[in-house]
This record gives sequence, structure tokens and C-alpha cells, in this order.
Amino acid sequence: MSIWEDKNTLAGKFWSNTVVEDCPIYDMHGHMGSLNTIYFKRDSASEMVAHMRRAGVKRLVFSHHHALFDANLRNAEVHKICLGYPEELRMYVAVNPHYPSHIKEDLRLFDSWRPYAVGLKILADYHRVKVSDRKYEYALSFANERRLPVLFHTWGGSSQSGYEELRKVAERYPDLIIFAGHSIYGDWDNAVKLVKESPGKVYLELTAIPGVNGVIEQLVENAGSESLLLGSDLPWFDEFQVIGGVLSSKISDEDKRNIFYRNVEKLFGKNW
Amino acid sequence: MKELFFYDPMCSVGNDFLGKRSSSTPGELLAEMDFYGIDKALVQYNNLAGAGAVYANKWIADFISSDTSDRLRGVWCLLPEQCGELPDDLFSAMSEKKICALTLDPFDHRWVAGKYSIGKIMAEAAERKIPVLMNYYNRKWEELYRFVETFPDNRLFIHDTTRHGTDRLVRPLLEYFPNVYYMLTAYWVPEGIRDLAVLYGADRLLYASCFPTYNHGSMMFALKNSGLDMASIAKIAGVNMQNLLEESWGK
Repeated sequence: MSIWEDKNTLAGKFWSNTVVEDCPIYDMHGHMGSLNTIYFKRDSASEMVAHMRRAGVKRLVFSHHHALFDANLRNAEVHKICLGYPEELRMYVAVNPHYPSHIKEDLRLFDSWRPYAVGLKILADYHRVKVSDRKYEYALSFANERRLPVLFHTWGGSSQSGYEELRKVAERYPDLIIFAGHSIYGDWDNAVKLVKESPGKVYLELTAIPGVNGVIEQLVENAGSESLLLGSDLPWFDEFQVIGGVLSSKISDEDKRNIFYRNVEKLFGKNW
Repeated sequence: MKELFFYDPMCSVGNDFLGKRSSSTPGELLAEMDFYGIDKALVQYNNLAGAGAVYANKWIADFISSDTSDRLRGVWCLLPEQCGELPDDLFSAMSEKKICALTLDPFDHRWVAGKYSIGKIMAEAAERKIPVLMNYYNRKWEELYRFVETFPDNRLFIHDTTRHGTDRLVRPLLEYFPNVYYMLTAYWVPEGIRDLAVLYGADRLLYASCFPTYNHGSMMFALKNSGLDMASIAKIAGVNMQNLLEESWGK
């Protein structure tokens, strides 16, 4: 019997029902809006939320492409988008190191954007500024004081966002909650090392990993499923892909539940 | 009862010389397939780029001959016709050894793929409707476009493993070349599969895993949730592939 046919497992339940009531799903890495290099099937809030509902995803935390890749859409506009979908959408405040005045102006409004604003997003490789650069100091100090999560785009071997850079940030900001987007993709040993060096502070976020043979298994075995978070990069990939990627990994159902929702609820509670 | 029949045309076996491991025996591969419910697979050699076509073709023939399940078929790699490195009667040898498809890696094997180098083989492959897997053209879109233009009568199976959305690159080929089939290995937008099926037909799409890079199960779940009707999902999962092979090799 294959994993999809065994109705006693999460894989079997999701195969039969699509949405499994006692297993909510939180997607901790999304975007919104068009982008230069890629065709998206859907990229508007209404389309994305409709897709989330079909896939049974309870909540998505996203940073808007246009706030990251274009300095003209400000985070205040993203907050307004969230207001239209109070159950489904939460936002990371996009931090562009090339516009320090925007960072200060936006973070002055952060508390007024709660509960929709849950943390910050830093995209060092694309912005071509190392995560340890002083250009992020204001934003990271802000997050550190409030014990906010910061979702970093990270990639193995990157001089902007690789292990060495993240380690410097973890040391410099001891109360920061680091979401390592893409889990320092490809540099799995150092991703695990980072988790172990900063217990309870570093979470490995799985965007681009579900479905890649053996990686989730490796991260669960070495870092523990308690340190993993689900992410899709929606609209790059869609929710069915990441859900299927986790379900098809050779880990226990308890580990899958940790990834799908338990770790997030430990961080934010059930009503966030 | 099993809901869908899955045929995986993009599966590599053996260990490559850079440490990328895969199943070394049919038993290991079949256990992996059974874990997810894959019924049949086309297999090629995981170290084809490094070991070369001559060695890889023999390795795969031996692998297939040791399979007692009759669920596996092999893929052989092309080389230029002029050097005599392939069997004289290639297609008879393929039939005898249960090799049902071809691939080619002119980049690692240092030759130029075109009418001068493989024109006669490709003409016969077209006549016999034998699938040619274009997996070594992964990410090489300009070269792939040229190849497709050169051999429009061949059944060419294309894919891309970058996971960076490929619609801008794939759709023109699907529109203009009816013999191009798209393997869904890293097409990570399941509801986009439905769009491709509506635009170009579910007959042009093939479930494929790209094992051992990806596991078999992720794309199974994605396809199941593509929003397509079950008949179309069944076609993409395995019926298309089974039919294509029956058209070339009989039942």
C-alpha cells in the first residue's frame, strides 16, 4: 500500500480530502504581485486567497514583490491589502536597504499595522547588501527590541545571505527571531549548525525544498522538526506543491504537523 | 483500490561520480516506486554525463535485464552516427533489451547534435515514434529551441528542473510543435497544469518525477490537485505515457 492509500496517515487523509480539519496549514513565506522574470498564474490578493482556501491554507505571511523590487509601492499599501483579508493574510514589512528613510517611516507605523504586520523581510541577495551590513541596523535593532521574526532570503554559498552572514546577525541581535528563508538552500549542514548555535531563535523555512528528494528528512533528523516552518513563495509555487512535498517526505506525521502548524502556533499562538 | 496508474518517464538509477546517489538495483528502485504508488518507469543512467553513453547504455541494459518485475524499461543515449559507438542495428538492439526511449547529452559528451550527426537515427526514431528525452537540454532553452526546430517530426519530451516558472519558455514550443511533450518534473504550480492542459491538451503533458533529484510523491499530489477532471489527470499520470510507448513498441 502506498502512502497515499493509507487512510490512517496524513498523506492518505490529504490525498482523499484535500483539506484536513485537524491539520491547519500556515504558509510563512509568500509574495504578491507581478515580477520581471517569471509568469505567474495568479498574483493578486483575491486570486491568491481563493487558491489558499481551495488548498486549506489558513494563513499566509507575505511580502509584496512591488515593495521589495520597486521603491514606489510602500508597506502602508500592503497593510491595506491585508485589511481586505483579515483571516488569511499577514505581512512582513519589506526592508529595502537602499531607502533608509522608507525603513524609518515604515517602522514608525509598524505597531499601527498590527496584527497584520508580524515581522520584517530582508532580501539581501537581490538588494546586493549583506545581511550584516549596517544598512540593516535600524530595522534589525527594531526587530530585536520587539523580539520580532525577520524572514531572510538565504542561500548556500551566498556572500550576502549565507551561513557566515546569518551567524553574525544572530550574534549581534540576541533576541531576534531568525526565519532562514530557503534554509540556506544547499548548505544543509550549516543550516543545522545555525539552529544548534542559537537554540529557539532560528527557524529553517522550507520554500523551494518540499519535493526535493531527502532534504526535509535530513533537516528533520539533524535540526529537528520543531525548527522547521512551511513556506511556498506563492505565487512562485503553489500551496498544493508544498503540501504534497511535505506529505511525501519520509518523516513521521508528528513531524509533518510540526511543520504545517504546531511550530507557528508555539510562536504566535492560535489567534494571531 | 489504487486510484490512478502512474508511469514515470524520468527516473535515473545508479550513483554518479560526484556523489549523487540513486537506486543501484531494480529492487531498490521498485521499493521506492511502491512507497508512492508508481506503477512503471523509464530509467536512464544517473552518471550518463560522467561515464559516457557507451558505458551508460550497457549499464542500463544490464539493469533492465535484471528486473524480474517487467515494470521497468530503459533509455539509451545517442552519439553521432559516424563513430560506430552505437549498435549497428540500434532499434533492433533496443527492442531486444527493453530499451524504449532515447536521450542525448551533446554538451558533456562533446559533439554537436543536428542533422549531420544524428539525422538518420532521428529520422528512423520519428518514423517509429520513439520518444527522445531532452533532459540534458534542461535550462538550455536556446539550444532546445534549435533542436526542436531541426527535428519537428520527433516525439521530444522536454522539462526544466529550475523550479523558476517556465511558462514563457514552454508555451511557444507546445503551441508550434505538436510532437513536443512536457514532463512536469519541476513545474511547481499544480493549478497551472490545468491551464496547460486546457491550452494544449492533456495528451501533451506527462507526470514525471526526475528521481533522485525529486521524490516521486510530490508531483503525484500536485497533479491530483491540479483542478483537472479525473480523466485528464489519469492521462497525465500514466495513460499518455503507456499509449505513447505502445504506439512505438506495441503492447
